[in-house]
Formats: sequence, C-alpha cells, structure tokens
Amino acid sequence: MSDTSAVEPVLETERLTIRFGGHVAVDHVNLRVEPFVLKSIIGPNGAGKTTLFNLMTGQYKPTEGKVFLMGEDITSLSAVKRTRLGIGRSFQLTNIFPVLTVLENVRVAIQSRERIGFNFWRNYLHFSGLEDEAYAILKRVMLDDKWAVPASDLTHGEQRKLEIAILLALKPQILFLDEPTAGMSQEEVPAVLEILQRIKDAKTQTMLLVEHKMDMIMTLSDTIAVLQDGKLIADGAPDEIHENRAVREAYLGGGARRE
Amino acid sequence: MAEPTPVHLFHMSEKRRQFKSSGFFLKMAVLLLFILVPFLFPSFKTVDLAMQIVMFAALVASFDILLGYTGILSFGHGMFFGIGAYCVAFLIGKYGSPSYGNLILGFLLAAAVSAVLALLISLLTLRVKAIFFAMITLAIAELAIVLATKLSGLTGGEDGISLFTPGIFSPAFNLGEFMGIDINGRVVTYYFILFSCLALFLIMLRFTKSPLGRVLQAIRDNVQRAEALGYNTFLYQSISITFGCVVAGLVGALYALWVGYVNPESSLSVMTIMLDVLLMVIIGGMGTLYGGLIGAAFLKITQTYLPDLQHLAKDLFPQAEFLHNIMERWLLLFGVLFILVVIFFPKGVIGSIREYGARRKSRGLNKTA
Repeated sequence: MSDTSAVEPVLETERLTIRFGGHVAVDHVNLRVEPFVLKSIIGPNGAGKTTLFNLMTGQYKPTEGKVFLMGEDITSLSAVKRTRLGIGRSFQLTNIFPVLTVLENVRVAIQSRERIGFNFWRNYLHFSGLEDEAYAILKRVMLDDKWAVPASDLTHGEQRKLEIAILLALKPQILFLDEPTAGMSQEEVPAVLEILQRIKDAKTQTMLLVEHKMDMIMTLSDTIAVLQDGKLIADGAPDEIHENRAVREAYLGGGARRE
Repeated sequence: MAEPTPVHLFHMSEKRRQFKSSGFFLKMAVLLLFILVPFLFPSFKTVDLAMQIVMFAALVASFDILLGYTGILSFGHGMFFGIGAYCVAFLIGKYGSPSYGNLILGFLLAAAVSAVLALLISLLTLRVKAIFFAMITLAIAELAIVLATKLSGLTGGEDGISLFTPGIFSPAFNLGEFMGIDINGRVVTYYFILFSCLALFLIMLRFTKSPLGRVLQAIRDNVQRAEALGYNTFLYQSISITFGCVVAGLVGALYALWVGYVNPESSLSVMTIMLDVLLMVIIGGMGTLYGGLIGAAFLKITQTYLPDLQHLAKDLFPQAEFLHNIMERWLLLFGVLFILVVIFFPKGVIGSIREYGARRKSRGLNKTA
C-alpha cells in the first residue's frame, strides 16, 4: 500500500457516506483505485457493497463525502454525465440489445464513442474500422464465433460477456462490474474469469468488482477492499486480506460463503 | 489486420453476390414490371392500380421508418400525407396558376410544413410515453380533418380542391404514339411519380443503413441501453419522426398530382388512409421497408379485384345463391385473407422470409466455424 500512493488514482472516494433514515449504509469510506489494476470489494450480504457502487457511479447522491475521477470532483454529476466522463458500469441485470446481432451490439457502442451517430448519408459499412474493432473486442471476450447471431440467441453467460464487450468498446476510464458471474451456470463461470484475467493482464483497463464468491476474488484481484456494516475494515493485497484478523472474524470465519 | 476477419469475408461474399442474388433479380423484375405497366395494361384501372401501389409503398415505407426502425406508433402519418396533397393543391389549384414554378414550390411547401409540424409534435409529445404519442397524433389528425372540412373558405371544405396540372403533366399534353399507346400527360405523370417514389425509397433505404439509422434500431431495441451508451435518444427519435413525415408529405404531394383532386375524405381521413397504411405494414413486415410494397400490392389488388369476383361468380355459377351472398360481402373474404397472412407470416411477408433466411445463414456459419 505504500509505493502506490505516488501514482494518481483513477478513482478516489473521500469519507463517502450515505444514510437511509437512521441507517448508515456506507460509513466514511476512503477508497483508492490505481490505474490498470483490478480491485475487488467484498463483504457479507448487506455490507453496503452495491450501495457503495451506486454512490460512485452516480445512482445515489452521498449524504457526506466526495468522489473523484482522475482527480476531478464528480460528486454532483448525474450517472449519465459520469458515463460520458468514463465510468462504465454493468448491472446485475443483463442489459444488451436483444434483436441486434452480437457484432452490432458492440459496433453501436464504438459508434457512440466515436460520435458519428448523426451521420445519415453514408452507409454504416463504410466505417469499416468500427467493425474491425468490434470484432477484436469480441475476440477478447471469446465471443468472436457468435458475431453474426442475434444477441437474444446467446446463453445467459454469453450475454454477460457481450455486456462486458459493450462496456470495453466505450473505453471507460474505469469499469464497474457488479457480480459478473451472478446467475451463471457452473460451467460458464471459468470462461468469464478467464476473460477478466486476460483484460487485467493486458494492463490497459482499470476495473472495480463487487463479488461475494471468495475463491474467484482471491486469485483474480490485485487489491481487495473489505466492507462490513458500511465501514471499510481492510484494504490490501489478497495475501494481506487473507491474514487479516478482523476480516477473518467478520467474513471468512463465521460460515464463509464458498459457493 | 493482415488477415481478413470472418466479418470481412462475410461482407466480401455479400458484395460479390449483390448483383447475382435472387433478391436483386426479383427487385429489378418488379421495377421493370412497373415501368412496362402503361404498355402492357394501358387500361385506366390497371395503370391507376399500379400507381396507387407505388405511392402507398413509399408511404408505408416512410411509416415503417417510424414504427419499424424507431419503434414509434403514430396515427398522424396519414395527416402528413394529406398536408402534402393540400400544399400542392393550394399552389396549383386554389391559389396559383398551373406553372412548373408553382408545382416545385408546392413540393417544397409540402416538405417544409411537414418538417416543422413533425418537429413540433415530437418536441412536445415525445417525452411522454409511447402510447400517449399514438393518442396525441390521433387527436391532431382528427383535428386536421375538422379544420380542412370547416375552414371551407380556405380549403374548399368537403368539396375539396381540383388541381390544374402544368405543361407535360396536363391531360391535354400529347407527345404522339409510341409502341401503340399515346404518350399523354397521364403517362408522363405516371413515370414522374414512379421515379420520384423510387428515389424516395432509395433515400429511405440509405437512411436506415447509415450510422444514424443503426442508432435508431438500437434505441428501438433497448432505450435504456442506448442512453447508457451516451446516445441522446430523444434527439434521434425526433430526427427520425421528422424524416419519415417529410417523406409522407412528399408522397402526398405526388398523390395530389396523380388524382388531380384533394378532399378531406380521400387524403386526410384516418379511417381510409391510416388504417390502410397500418394493415399494409403489418402484412409486409415491420422494419423491412420492402414490406411496404408487398403490403400495398396485397391490399390494393384485393380491394380492386375482390369486388369483381362477385360478377365472376354470378357468370360461372348462376345457381349458387350462397356463393353470391358471400361474394357480395367481399370485405369478409378480405378479412379471411388478412387473417391467413398474419397466421402464416407472423412477422409480415418480408420479415418472415428474412428470418427464415437469417436462420439458415447462421446455421451455415456455425458449420464452417
């Protein structure tokens, strides 16, 4: 934790707090995400993981504290504005274009990034660079052999992959993934983990992950933050977290989830 | 980049097949048929039928831009058609002399009025839910009929306006005989409208294949997702509605030129025009553009020839009383035909054929992969 403080963080929170009535869901959380790392947020159910996510991506407004993206205060900005500034987020519910083909799902996202959506006189195929890039992204998420089928024909796991591809196409500063393997069959999980591993190994994309499958977090993450009752109780490399007594008591010890 | 991706290979094979595919030949054959109609079937009835099919095909395609490509149901599309017709009628019928300048001005006015009104309606109503957009356009369309009927000093009321077509479009014009038919003003008008509608259709085809058209399809598919990608969906939908309505206005202007007469019943009525357009787009298939032609042909041909069947039935089977009774109610037969089409082509004729083709293609791709 010592040598990273020199690097400018992609995302940083300062005493981030939200109260719902008397209940403090997120309690003075200070979090840093350095460039091109994969950071995970874990914690028991109800620890406030998704709420913390919603505060950072703009779905909720904090009661107290600030959120910084690339050093800029974005606390007062809406979710849509934060998206334009480079916060890409996947939801627990899959969100794709079902009728469009898999390739077109990604191509439309690139088109948005490139801001050529208002062109109405040229054939879209003339922008062939877009299709090449879309295909390259599909390769990264191992969906390239399905490029021509409608997205609704994909399995649930494949649709989650496609969603990651759409987010990658936007080239966000930071990618928020809310339980990327939720609702997936056992056979589909390893493939998604491999994709995340590959994106991480490429060292070009910062990622923040919420998950409660412990095995997955331990091997995949560069750093792990642990939440309990809205408070950050530990933040560090997987080994440190594994050894941390507070964490073991709060989470790993008492009937840990090992799904 | 050095190695062509499967996407490249697919586009290359599509391009090679572009002018060899059965679809291309079919389109050319249909175009040729429409070009030859005045020579092959010079009777008033068939030429008029062909012209109605052509104009409604373009009108339905412009409606399809809204419904099929943008996911917006408007009941005001027939009104824009009527507005276009009235604009031309004002310029070369009621308030102007039949000159080419006034005719061109009429077309420009049709496009301009349609654009302004469509933009206004979409800006005011698009923020509400889709169903309200349908209701509001229906109300405005009904209001337009009332206005056209009641402001008789301005619009000619229920009697409508008769047009005087200029120069080469006038009935008096005659270029002489060619291949057994008189090349008169009516034939010239036929070709003018045929190629105008063709041009409009090609523009619409290009529109749907542009980056903008692709965004519209994405919005239709999942509005929230498109917004999350950073698209201003409201603006895109307004552009699409305006474009579709301008085309409808222009088709209406052409329609006025052909029938030489406009009144509220024939060019504004929600029941006669809007209902036909809806049926045509359902029969042909939403989101296909070409479906408009199939739907228009089906509806116009059945509406023209089903009534004739009763004479045929009387001639062939003079004793069959029951058959005569059915044939007199030919709309009943039309209903049965319509139900059959919907049962066998749930996504419209073109939509169902395309789906079948796409399934076969993706199966083929999976085999080679």
